[in-house]
Amino acid sequence: MQYGMIIDLNRCVGCHACTIACKAEWDVPVDKERNWVRRLGPANTPEGLASTYYPGLCNHCNEPSCVPVCPADVIEKTFTDSKTGQTKSMEVAATYKDPFNGTVQIDKDRCLGCGACADACPYGARYVNTDIKNEEIGGEGIADKCTYCVTRVEKGLEPACVQTCLANARIFGDLDDPNSEVAKYVKKGAKGLTSPAVNIGPNSRYYGNKKDMYLLTTTSTPTEMPSASLRRSLMARLKPEMRKVKNFGLLGLAGAVLVSGLTEDKKE
Amino acid sequence: MSFKVTRRKFLQTASIAAATLPLAKVVSAETGFVRDPFTPPGSLEGTQTVTGGVCEMCFWRCQLVGKVRDKKLVKLEGNPKSIDNGKSICARGNAGIKLLYDPDRLKFPLKNVGERGKPVWKQISWQEALDECGSKLKAVQDKYGSQGIAMFPHGASAKYPMDFFEKVVGTHNVSEASFFQCRGIRDMAYMATFGLAPDENVDMANAKAIFLIGCHFGENVHVSHVKKYLKGLENGAKLIVVDPRYSASAAKSDIWVKIKPATDTAFLLAVMNYLVQKDKYDKKFVEAHCVGFEEFKKGISHASLDWAAKICDVPAKQIQEVAEVLAASAPNVSVHPGRHVSWYGTDFQRIRAHACLTALLGAIGVKGGFVKGKGVKVKGITWPTVAEGGEEHNLRLMADKYHYAPPGTPTELIRDACITGKPYPIKGCVVWGQNPMQTIPNQQKMVDALKQMDFIMCVDVMPTDITMYADILLPEACYLERYDFIKTGTQWNFTDKQQQYIAPRMPLVDAMFERKDEIWITNEIAKRMGYGDKIPVNSLEEKINKELAGVNLSIEQLKKEDGIHIQDGKDPYGVPEDFEVQLYNEDLADKGYPAVPTYIAVEEAPKGFTRLVYGRSPVHTFNRTQNNVWLHNAMPVNPLWLNDEIAMKMGLKDGDEIELVNSEGVKSSSKTVIKVTPGIRKDTVYMAHGYGSKNPLLTVGFHAGADDQQLITKLAIDPETGCNGMRNNFVKIVKDGKSLDIPA
Amino acid sequence: MTDIFRFLAQSMRYPASEWFNEDFWSVLLSLLDELQWQEDKAELIRVKAGAKDFLEDVQIEHTRLFINAIPHVVAAPYASVHCKGDGTLYGMIAEQTKKFYREKGFALAKENDLPDHIVYELEFLAILANDDPDGQKKFLETLFTPWFKIFKSKVLEEAHHPYYRVVMNLIDFFTREEL
Ligand code: SF4
Ligand code: SF4
Ligand code: SF4
Repeated sequence: MQYGMIIDLNRCVGCHACTIACKAEWDVPVDKERNWVRRLGPANTPEGLASTYYPGLCNHCNEPSCVPVCPADVIEKTFTDSKTGQTKSMEVAATYKDPFNGTVQIDKDRCLGCGACADACPYGARYVNTDIKNEEIGGEGIADKCTYCVTRVEKGLEPACVQTCLANARIFGDLDDPNSEVAKYVKKGAKGLTSPAVNIGPNSRYYGNKKDMYLLTTTSTPTEMPSASLRRSLMARLKPEMRKVKNFGLLGLAGAVLVSGLTEDKKE
Repeated sequence: MSFKVTRRKFLQTASIAAATLPLAKVVSAETGFVRDPFTPPGSLEGTQTVTGGVCEMCFWRCQLVGKVRDKKLVKLEGNPKSIDNGKSICARGNAGIKLLYDPDRLKFPLKNVGERGKPVWKQISWQEALDECGSKLKAVQDKYGSQGIAMFPHGASAKYPMDFFEKVVGTHNVSEASFFQCRGIRDMAYMATFGLAPDENVDMANAKAIFLIGCHFGENVHVSHVKKYLKGLENGAKLIVVDPRYSASAAKSDIWVKIKPATDTAFLLAVMNYLVQKDKYDKKFVEAHCVGFEEFKKGISHASLDWAAKICDVPAKQIQEVAEVLAASAPNVSVHPGRHVSWYGTDFQRIRAHACLTALLGAIGVKGGFVKGKGVKVKGITWPTVAEGGEEHNLRLMADKYHYAPPGTPTELIRDACITGKPYPIKGCVVWGQNPMQTIPNQQKMVDALKQMDFIMCVDVMPTDITMYADILLPEACYLERYDFIKTGTQWNFTDKQQQYIAPRMPLVDAMFERKDEIWITNEIAKRMGYGDKIPVNSLEEKINKELAGVNLSIEQLKKEDGIHIQDGKDPYGVPEDFEVQLYNEDLADKGYPAVPTYIAVEEAPKGFTRLVYGRSPVHTFNRTQNNVWLHNAMPVNPLWLNDEIAMKMGLKDGDEIELVNSEGVKSSSKTVIKVTPGIRKDTVYMAHGYGSKNPLLTVGFHAGADDQQLITKLAIDPETGCNGMRNNFVKIVKDGKSLDIPA
Repeated sequence: MTDIFRFLAQSMRYPASEWFNEDFWSVLLSLLDELQWQEDKAELIRVKAGAKDFLEDVQIEHTRLFINAIPHVVAAPYASVHCKGDGTLYGMIAEQTKKFYREKGFALAKENDLPDHIVYELEFLAILANDDPDGQKKFLETLFTPWFKIFKSKVLEEAHHPYYRVVMNLIDFFTREEL
């Protein structure tokens, strides 16, 4: 199973209901976004004058660049397939890709809030909420992003943005199920925002007429992977070491490492 | 008692604490609060679903449910039972909780102990506030007569007090913004053509063609209305959009008519003339239902394609194409009546043309045409009419003008009387939910009218611009905290199973602070003005229950039914036999107005200036939502759309910070940015309306974006209705303090 | 301490003639005496002596600082307006505060009121001061001080009337001393 979302630009009217519903659902700080709508154009395209929207959100990528950079404690986590009840255990840091539903999630209570994942995402889909932190592990905040509202989905509801969309422009479902509406959209040509340099398998995809797709892809596709910040590489380098340290966070090391990481960044 | 401990000692202890960090911190964090970072749990966790909400972030009134966690309203959602908006609500609807918990909202009765416009507020008790309102209004009434009191109402909560002042106190001087600055012209023009107000009753979901003149769905959002529109597009309707700007709707259109502003009537006349000349109109319908076809035909015969092409600055071919598409799709055509139509002071004639075109296409009572849903009527309970006559003080009759004015008195007549004292003085003012500083053009005139009052009271939810002029300012419970308006209607798609619904507004949470509802406030004032014996109901709850009893329902029953009562409906299609369309309206002729829709040219921009038009932003209901943190953040400013070629000539770039100055020298008091785009005509600039609030009490909205209303100082008045036209103002762009000529 | 906190809570309520009277005034002055805040005391006495309607002056100031004002409400007396979140009422910290009251076995008498109003928080501190020094410490550390710092500085910066400056300093003094 791989959850995915289609945004049908032929239907979207740019009303922002989705972004505000998400804010309410997840208490998203006012200046941060788990999903967003940008108005594009009116601008000239080879297909004629066009004006459309970029309703963006986490792509729950197949090879998420945000996952491997997470420096938090690695733990053994058991995942359960909500459909079959089958389980699987994996070693994960505080953010990971769920092996069953394909969503990329964050363990809020283990997140250090260092922002490495946010830096690593080419779509700018993550933010760090500094109003909350896991103080006992020296956290600076807690990273957040679109979760495809899995807790709602597990209860048989739609993601909050999908539910409120008055245009039915947001379609959610299992891309692996060929009979799902999302899979049908993919067959019709719904595309993720990818470029030669950024090709990490986005599962949020867009469908629209030629001129709107032209405007969307030329303005909103990331064309390079974020360059690794010193902080991020420091984290990555330290990671094998950290794996050895059990309960790493509680020893207060996280705080120390982060502080030095930050000062290094400043010197850059 | 330990308060003799000195500061020094305190500081010593503090430094010890600091030295033991961070391990001490880890240890101390072992229990309780710190370890619980309170990550947002989502709207499902620990919440109760409360039904019966009816949205009023705009006046479409979608049905809501609230998710309430431990007395806190955490989220609003569409009521899944709704056959109108369903589970959807728009951005504004979703942001309602930020209105509810806006710290700037009015909380207690306030008295202005400073000046009007520069208030110094003091919290007072309701008792004192009401005594003051009652005695001061009574004093005005005694000295100047009931007509000495003017009222500016807006919204559902203003209906009951409005009835009190009109029917019991007996003043005609009531001016509703929704009529005089928005929809009134449309309703009156359709009344003069179809004999009924159109609302937005076009069956777009089942249309073969949708014809929008200035409507910009997407930027203008009313949930079930947009659903109809999108359903129509999904079903393959051809979309024709007439707009100087490549609006959200134009972007989805098959034909975009990039019309010169203020010439829409010429366009419509040419389309109609073409249909008549080419015999492409619905003869059967015209014969059966239309009056004055011959006079009409003659009256529009001058409107050739070329004539209109020149006036409208669009190709004659395109006008023909539009006419052909309409004819080919007839009668299943939605000619949208419009909503906010007070544009140029010639609007009654334009809207008459909408209605006449609808009739020529036979697009009435048929799929896709002008179709009114058949909902339930719930009879309202209100004040009895006790004030006798009073017609001799009706400013409109006295002036013998504006014979097609919507109910109430045109705002201009009221303001003129205030300022001149003629034909009689107006010295008391009640503002209820309206913000006439922002909704009515020419702010200085409004200030002058207010300054001369003996007494002004305002009732509102938020401290809007007008509230700075109040002597007494009263806080009202908002739509989430009270019973109110009973919303009725039908399923949104007329070809679905026919159903009717009844949904009274019920509170999702209790009112906080000392906010009260309009029934209580009005009754208390009535008692103090000596009308205690006329009070029709004692509480909102009682009122709603009595009204519901008329359709065999009750609040209790509605609660059982999750806030919405649904019953079988009636087929809305068909035309009543006696339905009459006045293509030529004799009564209009008698009063000296053009009896056949007529194009009237309006003033052109002086050299160096350009015409300012405005529209809506999907996240705002004009000014009412400006202080909402979420909505504000979604679109913090209202960029000025400027044609790309003009921008290049002027050396302006996308994102440049600018101000505007109008042809009468009025400058915007806040800044906005430029949006450079090929999607607007060269002779027009555009911005979303409602930004740039001036009341500094609104901490979020204060000076965000430019206020177009401020720049609307030239008043065009529609002769038939007395309503204001607001798009006849011309502006220059001011950059870095220098005002720049706009090339032609 | 209980009495002190209750007194401070009272001093932040809307000034009404029923309580903002000579008795209250004399307690306030004697408190300043004990603390040896002579300058503050002298200023209060001076301003009161020179006022036409001292009560109304304080009411106007209260309204302006804490309720609705021009050019803007200076400091709404709720934690969630100043701390954690987007400056609206009933934010995250308000929910946390309510939860804290509950954990200590308390709830607001008026259930619908916002839990994070300064008067409630001071009243609650008065309760804790009785027999729960740890709870008091934690409440101050995690819930009260983080927002009060910000609140206080806004009030001190904008206050026109010495009364609220003095009250802010008193609250500051007594809540910090207990850390
Ligand atoms: S709610 Fe739907 S229509 Fe509105 S902006 Fe979001 S995706 Fe587009
Ligand atoms: S969009 Fe960004 S945050 Fe989401 S999975 Fe991909 S890389 Fe990670
Ligand atoms: S259209 Fe939006 S603001 Fe208007 S009533 Fe519906 S949800 Fe509320």
